[in-house]
Amino acid sequence: MTEPAVGRRSGGRDAAVWAAAAAVLMFVAIIGGFFIAPEDREGEIQRLLYLHVPLAVMSLGAFLVACVAGILYLRRREDRYDEVVTVSIAIGLLFVVLTIISGSIWARGFWGTWWRWEDPRLVTYLIIALIYGAFFVLRSSTDESRRGRFSAVYSIVAFAAVPVSFYAVRAARDTVHPVALDSDGLQIDSGIFFWLLVSQVAVIVLFVALLKLELLQRRTDRDLRRLRVLLEDGA
Amino acid sequence: MSGAPSAARQYRALVLKDLRLELRTRETLIAMVLFVVIAMVILQFGFGTRETDLTRFAGGLLWVPLAFAAVLGVGRSYVAEREQRVLDGLLVAPVSRFVLLLSRATAIVGYLLAVEIVAVPLLGVFFVKGPYWGDVGWIFLACLLADIGIGVLGTLVASMAVFTRARELVMPVVFLPLLVPVVIAAAGATHAVVGQNDMAQYRGYCLFLAGFAVLFGLVAYATFDAVFDD
Repeated sequence: MTEPAVGRRSGGRDAAVWAAAAAVLMFVAIIGGFFIAPEDREGEIQRLLYLHVPLAVMSLGAFLVACVAGILYLRRREDRYDEVVTVSIAIGLLFVVLTIISGSIWARGFWGTWWRWEDPRLVTYLIIALIYGAFFVLRSSTDESRRGRFSAVYSIVAFAAVPVSFYAVRAARDTVHPVALDSDGLQIDSGIFFWLLVSQVAVIVLFVALLKLELLQRRTDRDLRRLRVLLEDGA
Repeated sequence: MSGAPSAARQYRALVLKDLRLELRTRETLIAMVLFVVIAMVILQFGFGTRETDLTRFAGGLLWVPLAFAAVLGVGRSYVAEREQRVLDGLLVAPVSRFVLLLSRATAIVGYLLAVEIVAVPLLGVFFVKGPYWGDVGWIFLACLLADIGIGVLGTLVASMAVFTRARELVMPVVFLPLLVPVVIAAAGATHAVVGQNDMAQYRGYCLFLAGFAVLFGLVAYATFDAVFDD
């Protein structure tokens, strides 16, 4: 018996649950971070922290997922891993861009300038954005027979470049980036830390929801193409 | 009947093939050297100053042209393979992919060192007005370490870019962002020697460059097979 060209996708309900959870958690995190969390000595501008830090952390998480999926693709050559590589990098890149924008707004509010080259993390995120932006140039310029392999290889190379870029930029400049956690322990108020944690969980769930929705959309797109071919053959 | 030649002989033959090809045509090296000199001159005018002492920018004045020249050289290194289908022959030959990677990286390091033999003294003549010539050996050591990283990573990236449609565009867009850490460390090492005479900082940058070469050597070793796995 052949597999039906189009059928009910069990992933649809799963993605909807994650999307709903992400919406609720993001709403709670934004309300909590922007209206309930205690004010820091930096003033209201510090509230950007509740978006900036979780997005920065999760962008690296997304690139890690892409790297692992890339390794799995090279070992098993299954297209689903190639899709995870591409979608994870796309979401991670979006998060990096949002990190840079929120960091730049914060710098304007705190230092009075949109950009400081002495801030090693912001500079590193700019380099990371360029590295992962290049992924799409490589991918779109590669033919289908090699696309999966090259994407997987690049996801591994790019992820190896992330800590290297962090270290290189940090070694070259005196850091001016505020630090929440150092060797002396937590440097922020426990109320702020709590809402930061809520925001982090919300952004992680948002990443999973976006990943699942995009993968579902791609599968649906494939199904529709297959259906069109079947209909054309039937006609 | 003897079997396939040893890996060392294959490596030697492939490196000699690349170097001999370059010595006969002189296409890439001359273009790279000219490119570096032109870039240095443009940078000087780009600063908008006619100062004779630009020691404080020495690292950038050397490594910005070298990074772009590296992209040029690495991209060009696959032209013969692509245009004359040499790569097809190499891939069906009983040569391990690792030997292919190593030989190509060695040839690229050779090209870059040849360019640096011109660029490093030129930096002293054009831009540095303090003590310089006694430190040239230290600068070349940093160059060598940086070149190894560039050679290994460049070979991996170029081996993918050569199969893409817009390869002339893909190569710089993909390779340059990955090179940023090398440029930071190599320029830092150059500046530490020329501008500050801070050997502790110089050693730190050189260690970083060596670490970069080792890390991407391992990444390239682990992934290079997959690039040619047609």
